[in-house]
Amino acid sequence: MKREPFFWVSISCGIVIMAFILLPLIQLLTSPSVGMLRESIGDRDVVRSIWLSIYTAGLAALISFVFGTPLAYLLARYDFRGKRLVEGIIDLPIAIPHPVVGIAILSVAGKNHFFGQILAELGVRIMGSVTGIVTVLTFVGIPFYLNAAKAGFEAVSPRLERVSRSLGASMFGTFVRITFPLAWRSMLIGIIMCSARAISEFGAVVIVAYHPMIAPVLIYERFEAYGLKYSQPVAVWLVSISLILFLLLRILTLHKVEEQ
Amino acid sequence: MIAIRGLTIDLRDFHLRDINLEIAENEFFILMGPTGAGKTVLLEAIVGLIPIKNGAISIDGRDITALPPEKRGISIVYQDYALFPHLTVLDNITYGLHFHKIDKRKAQGRLAKLLEVLNLSHLQHRLPTNLSGGEKQRVSVARALMVEPKVLLLDEPLSALDPGFREEVRGSLKKLHQTSSITFLMVTHDFSEALSLAGRAAVMNNGRIEQVGEIEDIFKRPNSAFVADFVGMKNLFHAEFKGTKALVSDLEIELGVTPPNSHGYIAIRPEDIVISRRRFSSSMRNAFPAVVTAVIDQGFYYEVRAQSGEVGFASLITKSSLIELKLRETSDVFVSFKATAVHFF
Amino acid sequence: MRAAILFRWTWCAMVAIILILTQGQAFAEVSGKIVIFNAGSLTIPLAQMEKEFEANYPQVDVLREAAGSQKCARKISDLKKPCDIMASADYKVIDKLLIPNYADWNIRFATNQLVLCYTDKSKYAGEVNAKNWYEILARKGVIWGHSEPNLDPCGYRALMVLQLAEKYYKIPGIYARLVANRPKENIRPKSVELVSLLQTGNMDYAWEYLSVAVQHGLKYILLPDQINLGNYRFDEFYSQAVVKVTGKKPGTFMDMKGGSVTYGITMIKDAPNREAAIAFLKCMLDPQGGLKILKNQGQPPFVPCRVPTGAMKSSLPEPLKDLVEVKD
Repeated sequence: MKREPFFWVSISCGIVIMAFILLPLIQLLTSPSVGMLRESIGDRDVVRSIWLSIYTAGLAALISFVFGTPLAYLLARYDFRGKRLVEGIIDLPIAIPHPVVGIAILSVAGKNHFFGQILAELGVRIMGSVTGIVTVLTFVGIPFYLNAAKAGFEAVSPRLERVSRSLGASMFGTFVRITFPLAWRSMLIGIIMCSARAISEFGAVVIVAYHPMIAPVLIYERFEAYGLKYSQPVAVWLVSISLILFLLLRILTLHKVEEQ
Repeated sequence: MIAIRGLTIDLRDFHLRDINLEIAENEFFILMGPTGAGKTVLLEAIVGLIPIKNGAISIDGRDITALPPEKRGISIVYQDYALFPHLTVLDNITYGLHFHKIDKRKAQGRLAKLLEVLNLSHLQHRLPTNLSGGEKQRVSVARALMVEPKVLLLDEPLSALDPGFREEVRGSLKKLHQTSSITFLMVTHDFSEALSLAGRAAVMNNGRIEQVGEIEDIFKRPNSAFVADFVGMKNLFHAEFKGTKALVSDLEIELGVTPPNSHGYIAIRPEDIVISRRRFSSSMRNAFPAVVTAVIDQGFYYEVRAQSGEVGFASLITKSSLIELKLRETSDVFVSFKATAVHFF
Repeated sequence: MRAAILFRWTWCAMVAIILILTQGQAFAEVSGKIVIFNAGSLTIPLAQMEKEFEANYPQVDVLREAAGSQKCARKISDLKKPCDIMASADYKVIDKLLIPNYADWNIRFATNQLVLCYTDKSKYAGEVNAKNWYEILARKGVIWGHSEPNLDPCGYRALMVLQLAEKYYKIPGIYARLVANRPKENIRPKSVELVSLLQTGNMDYAWEYLSVAVQHGLKYILLPDQINLGNYRFDEFYSQAVVKVTGKKPGTFMDMKGGSVTYGITMIKDAPNREAAIAFLKCMLDPQGGLKILKNQGQPPFVPCRVPTGAMKSSLPEPLKDLVEVKD
């Protein structure tokens, strides 16, 4: 079968894009020597910062999931005046330059702002704390979860939910038995996207919290202070560990699909 | 059983205006109307899925207007079946049992009966994706009946089925209705369906109810031009009434009775008009010479349009009659119908 | 025949053009880019100097990168980033990290002193003064900080002030107590970042130069000359303070000894744009030019600027020799 030119053009574009992504990554992953990699992972600061990156990103994803799911459901099911505005606001964090995000959060968290004063009274510290980091990561990551979850809910026909209600299920019961089982894959993808976005955040976090150091800040600090040779191994470890985590998540979900 | 008073709904795309309806227990009530008339909106309002602007709904004397859907005891069967794709047929049917406390043995008994009547026993462990349209519909009905609702609403349940399945499911519905005390409220487009299943019916248009009554009445005695047109009364004419006659253009049509008003409409069902080559000498008091203007193939029947002066009649004849009468355009014929076949309003 | 002649002329023309282009700088007016790595505390004065310089030399574009002075030096020595001028908050950083491989001379051009900055939203703002500041900084719940000693002289200078305070006020153990009340989270790479933390209310107190406090309109506590590192007369007292910071290579360390705050400036050995850099330095080190700007912005300059030895003076570029005197 003779293929159309469109087919070949598509393949070419695909190859270009794959090359575009893979070339810098391969360069990064193959630059450090095995010795440097071993030394890097043996450095306590490095391990601590990678672990901090992972669990703050995880926390941010969890918070997005817990608070974002009801909102995503609302947006998927109901129409109301100003809905487009709400959806635009949800997308804003994606468009704001990252340092601006950090500055904005710092300004609200400081004692010059009424909210910051409340936080100070409660003993909650944002600047230079894990709380602050998780706040920033949630801010930048939540739009990704919301959009994925909303799409997942939209894909579930409202009729199914209506029938469920007519058969005696409450709104919550319907959500648990019908909506969630049909939409959970989209929600999981949303969590993955949110975590990925969070784990790579730098510009906003570095303004709010230099210490404790998440991995991207450590990599930048090492680059500025000592150059490529000392920062690349940390980058390699961060990228590799993140890759493995995300692959694992995806494999788990694929496995479930086969079960069904 | 179902009493709807002054129901008004104002949604973005749909509106209901001052709906008043009473449906008795164990009736099989049919709701008809053109697309967009508000039939589905009315059904969903009864289930409690749509916010109401004004009015009240009561079931069995109890006002349910403020109740959430899960507390109303009303089941709904949708045109696209809406089966839960992630549950088996059995789980679909027994879904409602999670929320209704029913004695286990009773439930099993009911389940067995439904599976038998609707011929679903061999499909219990299948997933909905592997079922045919008819099978899906029957599962949908079984699921709705499993929770023993007081009222069962059906939104065009048969229109997505192949004609062969339609008869089958129609028969099952009729049997289920007769062997239980459930009130059925069904929306349909299909007149033969309506005629074979229903007792009473209502015709809706633009969010309002145009006519309510026995189904025969609606078909034979529509009370408005819209209803007459909707139910397929093709011969609808504006008329002046003089004594027992209706004057339509230059024709004098014998009605047999005196209408209360001086002018209005008359309507005649096409099946009631007889086409012949020679003037009929029969009990039909109305007979007019006419010229055939069109012969339209309707599949099993032919619609014959004949013009008598300025008045155009439409009648239905079989293919064999068509051949016998050797009818074609410009043929000279006689159009005859009984006085009692003329409905006026 | 004709073709050969044409070819020869084209070839000559091309060579001539290339020669002219590469000699361009020697013939043309001062132009191009000047890259300056400067200490954070010089940002605002340098911004104004840049404006005035570019007004006089419109063909030049001055590009400034602010960072802690050690970080500036490392950008030159470790990362080999191209740079024309390096202006440090501590001349010793240039001596230790850049001379002799990357720079030949070091002009000392200004002084400064350390003050404790705060705002009216700071904890105990109404109470704090020159007598009780160290006691307040030791209180639980007070968020105070300084910049990273390994990257910024202001960082190790802040620690020196605290060490000197222990000796001056004769309170043994106060240094350790203060450092214990300043967790790592309160350290920032560049001291100027602390200003925005103060202004947003995320930090109560921060150590900064007097000039920076003045430029940003912060409240501040002036400290006794014996400990504020601002008066060269107390250099001997200052030298009691010692802070260990990271050295030339990763894994090595060096000791920074206390001394009065003295800013230094140099031109990097293989500066990409020597002519323009020298022109800029000529304006900056002029008592009516850059030095005046420094004075107006709260940072006392040396008038004239200094180099420690005659040998260093003779190694300076010609146009700059008149602006400098020999004084240690």
